Amino acid sequence: MALRDIKPTRSELINLKRRIALSERGYKILKMKRDGLIIEFFKVLEEAKDSKSELAEKYERAIQMIAFADTVEGSIGVKSAALSVHEVPNIALASKNIMGVVVPEIESSKVKKNLVDRGYGLLGTTSAIDEAASAYEDLVESIIESAEIETTMKKLLDEIESTKRRVNALEFKVIPELTEARDFIKMRLDEMEREELFRLKKIKARNA
Amino acid sequence: MEIAVIGDHEFVLGFRLAGVRKTYTAETEEKLTATITRALDDGTIGILVLQSRDMNRIPRRLQATLENSVKPTVIAVGGEAGGMTMRERIKRSVGVDLWK
Repeated sequence: MALRDIKPTRSELINLKRRIALSERGYKILKMKRDGLIIEFFKVLEEAKDSKSELAEKYERAIQMIAFADTVEGSIGVKSAALSVHEVPNIALASKNIMGVVVPEIESSKVKKNLVDRGYGLLGTTSAIDEAASAYEDLVESIIESAEIETTMKKLLDEIESTKRRVNALEFKVIPELTEARDFIKMRLDEMEREELFRLKKIKARNA
Repeated sequence: MEIAVIGDHEFVLGFRLAGVRKTYTAETEEKLTATITRALDDGTIGILVLQSRDMNRIPRRLQATLENSVKPTVIAVGGEAGGMTMRERIKRSVGVDLWK
């Protein structure tokens, strides 16, 4: 808001004061929100780091295992074993609200199965397949865990960023501009008052 | 709800072995985009697993949708995901590099 656009009137001054009060209140609340979000973020951060490295590790292992199974059984063998697995890992997805940020909350049934429940015949396959299956079950478990944490992190970060922008805009742009305008009007009004007083004195002196 | 996996043939096979039923193979970019879009509309999918490599191959717009999606929750495995890494994101939002 450029200063020359402001009309130095009393009603404008009252309006401005009101807006300043409102902006300051908003600023305080947003600042609290930002701090709260960062606290939440720190809570998730450690978990996220752990789960991410764990996921990478398990993925590596699973890849190795399936490659191994592929070599031993041939791709047809692996595929036929894979197609006969029946039990499906079941998950329940809910959403949770952290300070206005919607994050997922995932619960899952057990992914790990024992040998007999896997569905492919034990006699027809080698242990390589079992190893690969169990490595992948591990991986799926870890995926379920990190999916929740990682999405939470991303969402929190986005929200922190936008809240921070808002806080900064209020602190460094909106509030200073409004205060400047308020001071300008005050000054101008005072000046007008002094002019008026002086004028009256002049008239009085002339009349006397 | 179920887990869905989209990726190339080898990637998907292992997940079948772990019991994931919704596995889709998609090799080309068009197929990938189409399959992901369909998966997003499927109400029974809770977690969508992708390959990080594929994350970089899909259009920017879809990437953004995936990143912000809660239902289903999307996760990329194998290396760093496309777009910004977690580390860069933290640096940008918090202002300090906390990922060590």
